[in-house]
Amino acid sequence: MSPAMTEQIRKEYGAVHAALPASVIEPARRDEAIERLCAQGLPTTREENWRYTNLRVLEHARFAPLETQGQAVPPLPEAPPGFVRYVFVDGLLRSGAAASHPGLTVRSLRTPGPSSSATWCPCPDFPEARLALLNEAFATDALLIEAHANAAPAGIELVFAATAGAQAGASYPRVRVVLEAGAELTVLERHMGAPEAASLVNSTVRADVGENARLTHYRLQQCAPRTAWFDTLTAQLAAQARYHLLTVGTGALTARSTVHVRLAGAGAELALSAAALADHQQSHDMYALSEHVAPNTRTTETFRGIASGRARVAFNGKIAVRERAGGSDSRQSLRGLLDGPQAEIDLRPQLEIYTDEVRCSHGATAGKLDQNMLFYLLSRGIAPQTAQHLLKWAFLEDVVARIERTELRRQIERDLASQMSAAATLKELL
Amino acid sequence: MLKIENLHATVDGKEILKGLELEVPAGEVHAVMGPNGSGKSTLAYVLAGRPGYAVTAGRISFQGQDLLALSPEERARAGVFLGFQYPVEIPGVNNVYLLKAAINAARKQRGEPEVDAFEFLTLVREKMRLMRMDESMLSRGVNEGFSGGEKKRNEILQMLVLEPRLAVLDETDSGLDIDALKIVAHGVNTLRAPERSLVLVTHYQRLLEHIVPDRVHVLVNGCIVRSGDRTLALELERRGYDWLISEAA
Repeated sequence: MSPAMTEQIRKEYGAVHAALPASVIEPARRDEAIERLCAQGLPTTREENWRYTNLRVLEHARFAPLETQGQAVPPLPEAPPGFVRYVFVDGLLRSGAAASHPGLTVRSLRTPGPSSSATWCPCPDFPEARLALLNEAFATDALLIEAHANAAPAGIELVFAATAGAQAGASYPRVRVVLEAGAELTVLERHMGAPEAASLVNSTVRADVGENARLTHYRLQQCAPRTAWFDTLTAQLAAQARYHLLTVGTGALTARSTVHVRLAGAGAELALSAAALADHQQSHDMYALSEHVAPNTRTTETFRGIASGRARVAFNGKIAVRERAGGSDSRQSLRGLLDGPQAEIDLRPQLEIYTDEVRCSHGATAGKLDQNMLFYLLSRGIAPQTAQHLLKWAFLEDVVARIERTELRRQIERDLASQMSAAATLKELL
Repeated sequence: MLKIENLHATVDGKEILKGLELEVPAGEVHAVMGPNGSGKSTLAYVLAGRPGYAVTAGRISFQGQDLLALSPEERARAGVFLGFQYPVEIPGVNNVYLLKAAINAARKQRGEPEVDAFEFLTLVREKMRLMRMDESMLSRGVNEGFSGGEKKRNEILQMLVLEPRLAVLDETDSGLDIDALKIVAHGVNTLRAPERSLVLVTHYQRLLEHIVPDRVHVLVNGCIVRSGDRTLALELERRGYDWLISEAA
């Protein structure tokens, strides 16, 4: 990070910090975050795990948070059945059911409330999580979701809409999800925006999944075409916890997601499935670290990305198996589809194993549409464009078909089809 | 129905078909036999219009129209069906979708409305029973996880549903056990009709015991070197191809 940017961040922080809500993050923690960030510097593409991210967008950004209330909310997609919706505009909670659901507490920390041990959570401390420090310093709101012990299954939908341009300031979505032992929760997180806004969004999500608890987490990055979206997700899984994380990214000009899941309890399981669809000048980059700390833990990682036009899709998936994580099992399947001579796919499967008696398998392939499949479809009378759409669709279905909520899956499938301009050709499937 | 004249075709710059002549009248079943590398599969692919199979000379007329002027999908919609030697697995595209899309593509070409959903399913179920296929296969990905025999049965199912004018079956018998062979042959036989022609590309006489051909042609080094009735297949079974190869040389 250039000294000029450090100076700018400090200056902006100095100008706004007194007005930042202490109930969301205590002032001392904000100060500390700024100090750490300035000491470490913002990431640069010279660093291995950031080399595929478009970081230039940060050069002209205003980092201070937007304090907007009253911006027009873009039209929202229908809430899938079974989900209670919370809408955030430019980082601030706009609407959402205030009442608690049985066994579930959901509240914005902007409004001071009863203290909870769950509100405090250390900012992740690893080099890829530096942008979370920016969020910690500037966040104007935070949503706390607590599913209490043995709570009945519930669904929460979080919509984060960005409506303002980056020259006016950034938005900092911030979510903390805590599942106590045996709880079961589905969180649908949707990032979107006003079509014309070139927004800067920098979100952090922290999830703690208790013993035998089960968190299903769907993340849809459907930001407006000129948005720069950065995201840091960290999760910690207790014994026998199950975390199903499924992300589908189609929007934004540049999107970077950093994920770190720590399988801390014996028998914990992570299923990470991610799909990315990028066209034109879009850049989608995901870094996912799955860290096996406890024995008999399990990771299944699936990535499918399609790059068209001059787009770049990158997935850097690292699985680390620590000394005490004997009996662990991890499987990685990363595949990229190049749709055009100027598109770029960068896949990087990594394994770091510090113990014996583990099972790890990984595979990564990037290529064009399979010509044998294409000809097979043509030979059955299917039009070439339909055949191509169909094969791209099928490629992403490896991930999308894992969405257990039918209505939600259909909604996502329709979005993907329209993103591929294939809504007409694939109508039979939608 | 099908008339091939002086057909020359290359694959990767290498000439495989070298002046092939073949005529298949409507209502007839012709078998094309020959040793490995003689050009049998190339002929099948050229008929279906596979990219990479370049026709350098000759003509193919199908129902009076120039087949080579049509794209692969236009050929399919006009009624040409290729049963693949190695049917492709397409996970994520289910069988029922493919069948329906294929039927509707042909109907659209003929200016007919899309197939009625109920009528379609009734038809597919009936044909599946004929091929002794489990209905659960409909919702599975195209050929996904199918055994060799199931894939071949699925090819024939598609053919039965699409009712092509000309079916070219490329080594449909390879990899089939005797029971599966009988099922496949039975399926093919139900499609025999005065307005339809079949070309069976095969190595062995075995298939022809169950689908009795009107004519048998032997392809050697890119040309048809001998044609005859079904007894020619029996002779090949007995004598092999060597005598024809040396004759052709």
